[in-house]
Order: sequence, then structure tokens, then C-alpha cells
Amino acid sequence: MSLKLRPFWFYLIPLPLALAALFFGPSEQMGPDRVLSSMRLLFGGAASADETALARSILWEVRLPRILLAFLVGASLTVSGTALQALFRNPLVAPEILGLSSGAAFGAALALSLGFLPLQATAFAFGLLAVGLSYLLARGRKGVSILALILSGIIISGIFTAALTVVQFLTDPFKLQTIVHWTMGNLHNANWDKIRSAVIPMALGGIGLFLIRWRMNVIALGDEETRAVGLNPEREKVWILLPAALAASAAVAVAGIIGMVGLAFPHMVRMLVGPDNRKTVPVSLAFGGSFLLVVDTCSRTLASFEIPIGIFTTLIGGPFFIYLLKKSRFTMGEE
Amino acid sequence: MILLWTAFFLGSTPFSATASSTAVEAKDLRGKTVRLKQPAQRIVCLIESALSGLYMLGAERQIIAVSRNVYTGDVFPRYAALDERIKDRRLPAPGNWDFVNLESVVALKPDLVILWSQQTEVIENLERQGIPVFGVFIRRIEDIYQEVRSLGRLTGREKRAEDLITYTQKEVERFRSRLASLGKKERPAVYYMWAQGNLETSCGGSMVNELIALAGGVNVCGDLISEHQVVNLEKVLTWNPQVILMWYNERKDPRHILEDPQWKGIKAVKERRVYEFPEVFWCDLWTLKFLYAVKLTAKWLHPKRFQDIHLEAERDKMLRQFYGRVVSGRP
Repeated sequence: MSLKLRPFWFYLIPLPLALAALFFGPSEQMGPDRVLSSMRLLFGGAASADETALARSILWEVRLPRILLAFLVGASLTVSGTALQALFRNPLVAPEILGLSSGAAFGAALALSLGFLPLQATAFAFGLLAVGLSYLLARGRKGVSILALILSGIIISGIFTAALTVVQFLTDPFKLQTIVHWTMGNLHNANWDKIRSAVIPMALGGIGLFLIRWRMNVIALGDEETRAVGLNPEREKVWILLPAALAASAAVAVAGIIGMVGLAFPHMVRMLVGPDNRKTVPVSLAFGGSFLLVVDTCSRTLASFEIPIGIFTTLIGGPFFIYLLKKSRFTMGEE
Repeated sequence: MILLWTAFFLGSTPFSATASSTAVEAKDLRGKTVRLKQPAQRIVCLIESALSGLYMLGAERQIIAVSRNVYTGDVFPRYAALDERIKDRRLPAPGNWDFVNLESVVALKPDLVILWSQQTEVIENLERQGIPVFGVFIRRIEDIYQEVRSLGRLTGREKRAEDLITYTQKEVERFRSRLASLGKKERPAVYYMWAQGNLETSCGGSMVNELIALAGGVNVCGDLISEHQVVNLEKVLTWNPQVILMWYNERKDPRHILEDPQWKGIKAVKERRVYEFPEVFWCDLWTLKFLYAVKLTAKWLHPKRFQDIHLEAERDKMLRQFYGRVVSGRP
């Protein structure tokens, strides 16, 4: 069962949502009750130059990059999950399955522990490396079988997790804490640099998946059927895998491991608009980004000491997901 | 050069330097020079050890936010006794060495934020917005002196800073001079145990190593350069330390080590020379109060040479010197 809502409505959500999110934050500056006065502050009608500077700082340097980053990360993970679930014809697949998260986590831990490697770049590189290794391992003479790919993903994932544990074991407890925090997922250190570093691979991945969205429908039918319509399934797999891995690696590299997004959000999208990938891909971008933005806004506003976003998404995403599954008896593309 | 610089500052700054409008600058522990237009008046200090330094400097009125750790755990009653605002929980706590709520910090409009130098992402975010950050990272005693000296300069209290450092150095020397005649054989082998686990220790190149050396002992793993090291039990058995020092530990007492069958072959256990440091506020190794840790350790290692020393009296004397009073307030 799915609601089959028109995708159009989802494209209307992000902008107003992002604007609204600007007026929520842990400090008393510019709360929702002060929207108007804050607007005035922003547009020069401030009481003093000092206040304008503070308002600018908080809105422009703290809240806005975080809002954008939350949206980009949510959109990337969701669209990547949607694409991989279509590719694998398996609803249990998420970007993590190819070893991406463990690879990126290992890279991040290495960078944090050694101190001279750039954090995001290293995490990104190892995330992609893990996916690449999974793919190469799974490659046989007859191409890449889905089962082999999942299996090699699990193995690569296990190896990187073990390597991560070794790094953690050798790291002193203070730095260890930073690594642990990274693996919990975080958006609270968002800034423009992070956005700059992540936006290109995210955009490449997102646009790539958007352009080939209709082919996902073919791939989802299986290798034989793909060949029957004159497409080479091996090449199509690479064209889905590559952008999906790019987008998800960039997301994990800037925000750490944010659980459940890549797995649960694509399901929600399919429940909302149906399994047609021509719709699910763009809706994944709009809905996934918006949803994570809402969750992150809650996480940074509700308590003065925020719960890391990765924990938060898992804690609320998990039960919600179970509820939806129970309620709709949803299965992958079949009704 | 440093002397000249200090002299220049001492000469040029009025005695009640707080209200001075002269620009100040000092190096933090990242080696970065922090420049302020005037001594800091709105300090957000998220590192507890540096905070204790600010109280020693008498700069508490310039503090507008503190580390969350101040409100939790054993140090709370001490800080509550030092500052009414902490007692009433009126001072905001927008983070600690581990997590920082960026927006709350920015909203406080600080003119100086004190962070752990490894919090690179937060530091970068704040500095980009023009908020000066003082990064703290203590590995040696010299680092503590530098921290106090620099914070003294940035708060307009360099005279007080020099007094604190001179006092500490003199007191360390008072103890060390009694140990100068020790032969190599008279320096006991010491194993140091952190609260995280029996096998977590600090080797060469660490504050702990300096502490043990100053107190007339030899760290069993002093040859290995490692700030924090997890060792295995066989190693400890081979080292066979004569004394075991335990950092303050909520879950464990020396009794636990003395009764542990795995540890019973060790000399320190046989001779019942296992000692635990008292609550961290008295002897925090990352502050000038490491002085009390030196005194404790010296007496534990060489009880005969320090027979005349009364540790509690020493502690109270130190607290009076550092905070102007014996900081009581039972936990």
C-alpha cells in the first residue's frame, strides 16, 4: 500500500522549512517569538551595530550552514538509499551495506588520531575506497551478482570496523572521545567549509541519480529483463553505484554516521509516492533533506545539551519505521 | 627576550589592570598568539583546569560561562564554595572539552573563549567569526606555567600570575631539595594507574612521569614515550613496581588492588604500598595544584624524609595561597 501522493507537494516543503528553521535555536537570540524583530535586525533596522553583528553571526555563521548541511546530508543519504534499494532489489539495503560507513569511520578515526590528515577528505576517500573494494571483490566473470556484492560489502565492512577498533584502542582517551562522537554523527560543527567540501560530490551524486532515475525501474526488474530492453546491466549497475556512493560518502564524511536515514527514509518515500523511481528519486531529495532538517532542528533546539543527530535519527526513526511497516504491511514494490 | 617583554608589561600596565584599556596578547598552548584589544571581560571557559587557573588569578568576575563539568561530579561543591553564581547555577555552561554548543557560545558575546586545543572544529568556527580562542593543552609542568602566565596577561593580572608561579616553583623546590641526595637505588619504581582501568597508565613524556620524577621515584614505563598507554598485566608483573599510585577512582580503592589475586605477587602489594590520590580538586595534575600531588607522592615514596610534613596542613596552605581560602564545601 502506498499513499501515491503527487510528488509536486514535496518540492514545496524545503524552502519554507529552511526559513522557519532559521528562527529556532538554543540561545534566546532570535527565537520564534522574535521573528519580526530579528528580521528588522537583519535588514539594518537594529538598535545597535553590536546586535546586528550578533544576529548576523548566529544566523549566517551558525544556523544557516547547519540547516543547509542537514538538508544536504538528509537528501544525499536518502537518495543514495533509494537508488541502492532499487539496484539491489532489496529493501534492507542502505548505503552502509557496501562498507561505506565503516570505511569512512575508519578514515575519520585515522585522521583524528594521527592529527595531520584532513578529516573530511580522509573519511570521504576511505568511504569510497570501501565501496570500490566491495565492488571489485564481488566482480566475477559474469559480472557483479547482487548477492556477491552484499556479501563482499559485509566483509569489507567487517574489516574496516576491526581496523577502526584497532585505531581506537591505540588512541588516548581524550581523542578517543572525539572519534566516538564522530561515529555518532554530528551536525553541530557545521560551517561553510564543510558545505563547500561536500556540496560537489553530493551534487554530482544527486544529479547523476536524477538523470538515470528511469533506468532504475528497469534495473529493479532484474538482469535478464534489463538485457531484454537493450541495456547492459553491468554498466547500469556502475552508473547507479557510483553516484550513490559519491553522495553518501560525502554525507558521511561531513556529518559522521547518521543511522536509519539511508534505510528508513527511502521506505517512507515509497510509502508516500509509490515505488516508481522516476518519482522516488526527486522526492527522496526533497523529503529526505526536509525530514533530517526537522529532526536536526529538534535536536538542536529542545535541550541545551543536544543528543548527537545520529542517535536521534535512530531513536525516533526506528520506532516510526516499525510503526509504518506494521501499519501498511508494505513490501518492496509489490502490493 | 621574554623577560624584557614581561618587564615591559609589568611596567606599562596599571596595578589594577582589570580596567585597563591597553591591548594585550599572549601565546596559547597551540603556540598561537591571542590578541585582545583590552584584557578579557567576558570569558567563556569550557575547560575545567583552565577555569581553576582563572579563579586562582582572581579573574572570576570576568568569567561569564563555565564548563559543564563544573556542575557535575565532585568539583561542583568546591566551585560552589568559590563562586555564588555557580552555587545558584546562574553561570551558563554551553559545553565542555568534548561538546560545545556553538550558538550558545556566540550568543554570550564572549571576548575570549577557552577551549581544549584539540577541539579544532569549534575553534575554527569561532575564530572565523572573530571570537578569540585560547587553546589549552597540558603535557608538561612548563605548559601549566605558560598557561597561567598567558591567562594572567589576557585577563590583566600578570603580577598575580607571576606570584602564583613563583610560589609553586619554590614549593616544588622545597620538596625536591630534600631528595637531591637520593642515590639511584633509593628511588623506588612506581606504577601509576588511571581510574579508567588497572592497566591504563602514563609513560615517558607525560605529566605523570614528571610528577614521579619530582617526588623521587622512577616511572616503570618511563622509557616508553606515551601520554596514555594500556599495558598488559604481565608487563606490570615484570616491572614489579615498589609503589603503586592510583589516580582518584570512584569505584576502586587501594584495598581492591591489595586483595586482587592477580596483583598479589607484586612488591608494592606485598609491602602494602598502594596509594590513591584524594579528590581531583586538591591535586589536579593539569593545574598548579599538581603541587599537592608532588607533595603527596614524595611523602608516600619517602616517608622517612618527609616525616615532619603534615600533608593536610600543606594542602590548606596551598589552597589559601591559590584561592585566598581553604575551599571547603563537602561533597
